[in-house]
Amino acid sequence: RGVKLILVQGRFRHSTRICLERIREAMLHHRWQEAAEYMVFYPQKLEGSEIEYRQNRELIWRISIELLHHMPNSKLEDYNNIHERMKHLGVKIYLKVSLEQSFHLMLCGQIEEAKQLLAIGESWRYGKESASQHQTAKLIQAYRSLLDYVIWCDKKFTLDDTDDDSVTYQDMHSYFRQASVHLKEIFKNPGVWDPFIVSYVEMLEFYDDHEEALKILNDYAYDDTFPPNPNAHVFLYQYLKRRGASDKKLTKVLKVKQLNWKDILSETVEPRKDWWPALHFTSFHAAQDSKENPELMKLKAPVAKIFCPGK
Amino acid sequence: MDDEYTSGFKEPCAQCCAVDWGLTDEGRFYCRSCHNVIERTKEVEDSNFNPGSSRVSTISSKKRKLKQERGRQWMVCEGFQFILMDQADALVKLGVSKHFKDEVLHQLWMLYLHRSQQAYTNTPIRSCTARPQTSDSDSAADLSVVSGSETDSEMFPPSRASSVTSNADNSDASLYASSVDGSTYRNQRGGTSHLMTMKKTLVLLHLGLVWARQGLTLSDLLRLVNEGHVPYVNTFQAFPEEMKLSGSDSVIFKVLKVPPYEQVHKETENLIGFLQLPAFPPISRQSLLHPASLCLRYLMEVNLPDDLYPWVCELMKFAQLDDVLQNRYDPFLHRKFPHYDVQAVAIIIVTMKFIFGLNDHVEWESSTRASQSPHSGRTFNLRRWYRLLQGAVLRAQRRRDNDAARKQWIPEKLLSSNRQAENVAMKRKRVSNELQSCFRKLTSGPSGPSGPSDGPVQPPSIFQFFWGDMDGADGPSLHRQNLDLLVTQVGGILKPTNEQYWHPALRDCSSCHDGGHYSEAEPTLPRMFVWTLQLFAFVLDLTPALIYREVLRVERRVLGTRTPQSRKHTKFLNVRLERARARLGAEMRARARLGAETRARMEAETKARVRLGAETKAKEGMTVTPQGQRKRKKKAPDGL
Repeated sequence: RGVKLILVQGRFRHSTRICLERIREAMLHHRWQEAAEYMVFYPQKLEGSEIEYRQNRELIWRISIELLHHMPNSKLEDYNNIHERMKHLGVKIYLKVSLEQSFHLMLCGQIEEAKQLLAIGESWRYGKESASQHQTAKLIQAYRSLLDYVIWCDKKFTLDDTDDDSVTYQDMHSYFRQASVHLKEIFKNPGVWDPFIVSYVEMLEFYDDHEEALKILNDYAYDDTFPPNPNAHVFLYQYLKRRGASDKKLTKVLKVKQLNWKDILSETVEPRKDWWPALHFTSFHAAQDSKENPELMKLKAPVAKIFCPGK
Repeated sequence: MDDEYTSGFKEPCAQCCAVDWGLTDEGRFYCRSCHNVIERTKEVEDSNFNPGSSRVSTISSKKRKLKQERGRQWMVCEGFQFILMDQADALVKLGVSKHFKDEVLHQLWMLYLHRSQQAYTNTPIRSCTARPQTSDSDSAADLSVVSGSETDSEMFPPSRASSVTSNADNSDASLYASSVDGSTYRNQRGGTSHLMTMKKTLVLLHLGLVWARQGLTLSDLLRLVNEGHVPYVNTFQAFPEEMKLSGSDSVIFKVLKVPPYEQVHKETENLIGFLQLPAFPPISRQSLLHPASLCLRYLMEVNLPDDLYPWVCELMKFAQLDDVLQNRYDPFLHRKFPHYDVQAVAIIIVTMKFIFGLNDHVEWESSTRASQSPHSGRTFNLRRWYRLLQGAVLRAQRRRDNDAARKQWIPEKLLSSNRQAENVAMKRKRVSNELQSCFRKLTSGPSGPSGPSDGPVQPPSIFQFFWGDMDGADGPSLHRQNLDLLVTQVGGILKPTNEQYWHPALRDCSSCHDGGHYSEAEPTLPRMFVWTLQLFAFVLDLTPALIYREVLRVERRVLGTRTPQSRKHTKFLNVRLERARARLGAEMRARARLGAETRARMEAETKARVRLGAETKAKEGMTVTPQGQRKRKKKAPDGL
């Protein structure tokens, strides 16, 4: 018991702190309308002191976008509006916002607009800031190339319909060239580039550049500086299979993968051994799955055998 | 300088045949060579016009277009005068008497300007032009309280004309019109303690209200400010068009917080000293500021039974706090300016201690007995009261927080002093406005905005809680319950059943500033007592320490100063107050005879209070609150 006391009732910082608490509480409980009502007042924080502004700029942007996702009457122009305004508010978040905005445009199917946005982002320079945000810049490059690939795919799709395809072929090739230039650069950086790798290989295969494709895939799978990624080996395996490689070679790839992976798996599973399997492989779930989702059960069963021998 | 007005007029002067016309302050054309005044007048459109002074109008600047952009020249004091009048108007609209605004506040402001003049005689630019806002013909008579104010108007030197214009022209940000002395207002010689600030507007209002013996206490005033019924945050936005502000003014006029109770109180004391006010008008028994009236009001506020009121009055009398003449505040005799609201609450708490005990034992035992008695529905039960209040306060605190979260602090107008700062601020303002309007649009459904607007969120009312059976009430009313089992009749005398009274050391400690050493004492105090302090602290919106200090002060008056054996710890003494009780008993007997009269008086006072609340609600037309908020039907509790 005890009555909560706020000693000084009227204060900008106090008001805005409570406002943020209310927003957070509402969002946690999915009360989007309520959160939006408080969001009418929170943007004042941008006009506060310099520190308040800097601390809140990204937060306000993210909250606004998240709320837009959940409000029934939000429109694309609301998203674009907010993205544009927040982008030009400060150099530190320019690239981040550009990237997120392009993602949203992609989700809405506006590929061209997304690509244009990323192209603008690519050419953006701001002294030291460009250096410190180079990671985001790389992502922007990568996604722009991905969009090039998407457009390439679209054009490929139209190929079979017309007789005179030379124009389309030229278009396609220019997109391919743009994409490949950047992607080659991107792949030099350690990271998980699965969708990009797959897209690039597809294009290379179309143009019969098998040497390049193999090189890319091998580098991706076997380069130690890259984070361990089982998919890399899968891609290599699938490619080799497509190319009709010998079984011996295939199994060699898999074996390497398996050897590698046994170590890595046991490393990660060990600390979780006592609770993770119990959490995921209960008899209740098994019963439910056998009724509702037999496919899942088929997948889970062998895994369960591995993790919980004897159950 | 006057050429723009007189250039069109090319008639030669009748006396000297020169064509050289100027303008007198009355707007008449006069010949510059021979000072012959003719009938022709220019249209008086500038509000700097002041009949009676001998100054030549200074408004004419070089370019008329520039003048319109820059507005007219105005002093910081003018700005504050505007704000003060705005605030006073709001208070009058809420029910305060006009006498407060037209006479009391007016005179206090004059007095303040007069006194602060004397600090800056060597810099004429600093002089404030004290122009009465009201066009009352009585304004001259009103100045009688302020000594020598007629001569003071001559003190406002006319020489400011040229120096002021050049000052404004030379300013770097000549495109940013501002008050004349805004940038230098705070750096004046003679110290800054008597400069006008936004906080001081509240101080002046409070002073005026007390002087005019209005029932609006300091905690009421601050609550009204927080709720937005009295302009305070961003009042400068309502300045007339010609008074333009810039960055340097923002420091003076922009507020990001409402000052807490104790700060305003302290400044009131300072201001009283600065103004050298005489003894205040006495507070009569009938006035709303008298402890008896305030106590009644607070008793109603926290849903305590009316039967407690006679006991409260007795205690007041015993402590000599209701004596009109003795308690008349005189700055020369009394060092401390009284906290009228806190004092009333302290009296109630001491009465509660007498009747209920509040030592974590007695009150619960009597509650248990009350609930087991055959007439438990009509008997006041502290446990039930506690539960009601606790719930109500938690809900009210949540509401208060929600309102605080929805407060619009940042002004629409942009105040900036240079281009770069303005650009940055403008960009951020645009983004903020964009986001705000986006969400406003998204949250306003077909049922109308379910969120609150930026205006005042609660209808103005003296009371924060509503007790009764109506919709949206905080709980059932306990006002009509009796104090059976808490008071017993012994030989024709009514006495409190509880025979113990505890209190901490009552020695007046001069070393402590916030008094009472509350933070040290608090862990040793009974929880119920602490809760009661916190309850009233919430109602008044200040710290419990303040109330604790006042409670000790009242106890000192009732019980005398007692020093405990141990200096270090507070002790709970069981004091048999035969003397106090006997006296109370005797008075109660007399009161029982006059019981009907008392009740009638109480009813009348309550009705007046409720009328004030209802009237203000009616004036604001707030019988139906916006959707999503509590609905309060306009209803006066029927007679009690």
